[in-house]
Amino acid sequence: MTVEHVTMAAPAEIASGRPVRAGLILFALLAGAAVIGALAIGPFTIAPGRVLTILWAALTGDAAPGVALRERIVVLDVRLPRAVVGALTGAGTAVAGAVMQGVFRNPLADPGLVGVAPGAALAAVAFVVFGAPLAMLLPAPLQALGLPLAAFAGGLGTTLVIARLAARDGRTQVATLLFAGLALGALASAGTGVMVFLASEQQTREFLFWTLGSLGGATWLKAALAAPFVLGLLVASVFLARGLDALALGEAEAFHAGVSVERLKRGAVIAVAAGVGASVAATGVVGFIGLVVPHLARLVVGPSHRVLLPASALLGVAVLLGADILARMIAAPAELPLGVVTALVGAPFFLWLLLRRRAFVG
Amino acid sequence: MMGMNMYRADNVSVAAGGRLLVEGASLAVQPGRVTVLVGPNGAGKSTLLKAMSGEHRLSSGRVTLDGVVITHLSPLALARRRAVLPQAAEVAFPFTAGEVIAAGLMAPDGRDGARIARLLGEVDLSGFAQRRYDSLSGGERQRVQLARILAQLELTRADAPSYLFLDEPTASLDLAHQLTVLRLARAHADKGGGVLAVLHDLNLAAMVADEIVVLAQGRIRAAGPAGEVIREEVLEAAFGVRVRVGIMPPGPFVLPQNVHWAG
Amino acid sequence: MSEFCAAEVQKGDTSRIVAIGGAVTEILFALGLGDRVVAVDQTSRYPAAASRKPDVGYSRALSPEGVLSIGPSLILAAEGAGPRSTLDVLEQASVPVVLIPEAHDKAGVLAKIAAVAQAVGEQEKGRVLAAEVAADFAALEDMVKALPSRPRAVFVLSASGGAAVVGGSDTSADAIFRLACVTNAMAAIKGFKPALDEAAMSAEPDAVVVMKGGGQVLDADTVFSLPAFAGTPAARERRLVTMPGSFLLGFGPRTPRAARDLAAALHPGARLPELPPRQWAAEKDQ
Repeated sequence: MTVEHVTMAAPAEIASGRPVRAGLILFALLAGAAVIGALAIGPFTIAPGRVLTILWAALTGDAAPGVALRERIVVLDVRLPRAVVGALTGAGTAVAGAVMQGVFRNPLADPGLVGVAPGAALAAVAFVVFGAPLAMLLPAPLQALGLPLAAFAGGLGTTLVIARLAARDGRTQVATLLFAGLALGALASAGTGVMVFLASEQQTREFLFWTLGSLGGATWLKAALAAPFVLGLLVASVFLARGLDALALGEAEAFHAGVSVERLKRGAVIAVAAGVGASVAATGVVGFIGLVVPHLARLVVGPSHRVLLPASALLGVAVLLGADILARMIAAPAELPLGVVTALVGAPFFLWLLLRRRAFVG
Repeated sequence: MMGMNMYRADNVSVAAGGRLLVEGASLAVQPGRVTVLVGPNGAGKSTLLKAMSGEHRLSSGRVTLDGVVITHLSPLALARRRAVLPQAAEVAFPFTAGEVIAAGLMAPDGRDGARIARLLGEVDLSGFAQRRYDSLSGGERQRVQLARILAQLELTRADAPSYLFLDEPTASLDLAHQLTVLRLARAHADKGGGVLAVLHDLNLAAMVADEIVVLAQGRIRAAGPAGEVIREEVLEAAFGVRVRVGIMPPGPFVLPQNVHWAG
Repeated sequence: MSEFCAAEVQKGDTSRIVAIGGAVTEILFALGLGDRVVAVDQTSRYPAAASRKPDVGYSRALSPEGVLSIGPSLILAAEGAGPRSTLDVLEQASVPVVLIPEAHDKAGVLAKIAAVAQAVGEQEKGRVLAAEVAADFAALEDMVKALPSRPRAVFVLSASGGAAVVGGSDTSADAIFRLACVTNAMAAIKGFKPALDEAAMSAEPDAVVVMKGGGQVLDADTVFSLPAFAGTPAARERRLVTMPGSFLLGFGPRTPRAARDLAAALHPGARLPELPPRQWAAEKDQ
């Protein structure tokens, strides 16, 4: 999904003097290495050669000679869907972060600002507490998806309400968007608090684990459900890139340069809400990717969204899958929550970036 | 009044916060001509320019380009015909000067490095393409933005005249670069484009303008060639100061030494 | 579906068992099958040999590959283990998963023993263990029946931020109180909830029960400095009972002993006899 991205990004060295092409190639290699690592590394030891045999056999439909059933299942039904969901989530979350930073014209913006995560969390905990009987109404194969579907609806719904509140006379005020996001986020968090109060100890723990994020529950079904929304965000980002570049010059300047600023903002918010909502639904809340990855990508390829967005997608895949390898290996045979790993690595790194930048600029 | 081929405001009023900032202004920017808005602070010069650019909503009246109301044009269609130099532009991310120029260009070949380098040269910023925009001085930023909007108009249709809107383009520039900017504006008009500029300095206005429009308290007080408008009684009414206009060849100028408080 | 009937499984390979849930693990060790246990979850802390086995983590967030990497031939898990996607993968990999129903009373404990024994094909050993545990329950009933009074107690799960999270009705804490003939002073609350300070005070508890283990210990100073217990009989007498969490709330074979120890601690005057020594309960909790 990220391969097309690379080819669509216009070469931009001429204007920027930055190592754009080299940066994109580096991030693509990192993403590729992370995918290979996600398939080859795990607590269940399988020789890399056998992993290849299994993948090749699955691709050609042949029987893989001398491969145990468990090895096949670990590669094809555990690691592969996990890598796919991880790649989708990583790319989607990172691109969403970069897009929101562009819309808010602020490198510290985050998809959480428009209420996706708090809304999804409220719906998820409400489902944990009250949803079990509802899930029984769903057809059997979808029962396990009750929580992800609730989270997706909650995240997207909250964002649409916020976008609606921020629109006045057909214009979306970014400041109002920010405040409406804060207010509704706080409201959703309060609702989450009420749910946690009503929940049993075990429900509370289940919810807590969900908020920490994990690829542990990744299945092909989840990958298939999340893919259209995340791919939609990635495709949309290609069309948003020029407008976001112009928006960096200012809202009025973007309009003068020919951007339909209102359409750009609305399109960006909806694409982000759908993509992040689907990611959060598939994996729970995985923090810091949306903040740190675009920042890091910007340091290498520069702030132009035409290259920043594909670079963020590739680096997001690499960072999320890399973090997941750590999450699976550190406490094996148990698994650390993914959000814990990304925050443990992401937060200090982010601080270092901020301090370093201050040392240079300030 | 005149033919279709112009960028004009008809009886335009703009209100904000319950106050009329511009009232009943009519004005035509014509291909091949430089029109300059002058007037005291708060006269509504920038507001009128913004209203004409499409940035401000009108409370009444209309703005048309070749007879078409500009709000009926898409932002992209409008941008192909007019570009606006902002007064003070902050850029959100650490762009280089070259990237700032590229960022404002919606055309597919906007990243052409040779064009960017040439336009930076035209605003006396040769070799600045890879300098960080946020490390530049106010005047340098102003000229990067000028190069950006020149690039925007270069990439537009060649068959119809384009319009350059400049909001106090000389504000943070030294004397030499003030002249550079006005020379570029003049050149745009000489190539068949139209220019609308807000200027503070009456001397510069008189030097570059084909037509000077005097605004005070939101209304147009006078309009015409410099020789007709830069007159003692007009300026006294508009600025509230008594002046003595010196007419020395080749054009009129105002010496601050000759400025005194009115009344 | 993963809830295989135990009868289907008993012929299978039970040489490498992953035990999920403190009570399940305890029963397996009590049946003498500790050496077949190859991994446990984070709540399996007794006996000490169990806590030294590889830990697959939180029972509701099991990692499919982590569990498979142990090379298990059978997963024995307390009800609630998951998530569903992990159980599905294990099933696909032909690893049987047997879920043991959770229950907090005598019949439930005996049923757990029978279910675990059947899942591993050791019904005879299971009957012996169940008979011993049933005898312990009977002895417990006899001794608590003879107690002269019914003290009121509060179970405090945690006290972070100055608010006590207490065990209301419908909890494992309430169930062990019941077995020990102790009145749960917080029965008006359902589940483990933060208690209103005033509600806790007006409940007039004679004692506060807390658990240790898993790194957390609430001491008397912390508990009785909580506003919730200011002025209660428990605070005046500083009556705090501390017991290992998996022992007190595990609802495995040692539950009658836990109830007896709790009753003894809350009736300082009465001299309660010890339950008969059992080999599987000989080890001290950490």
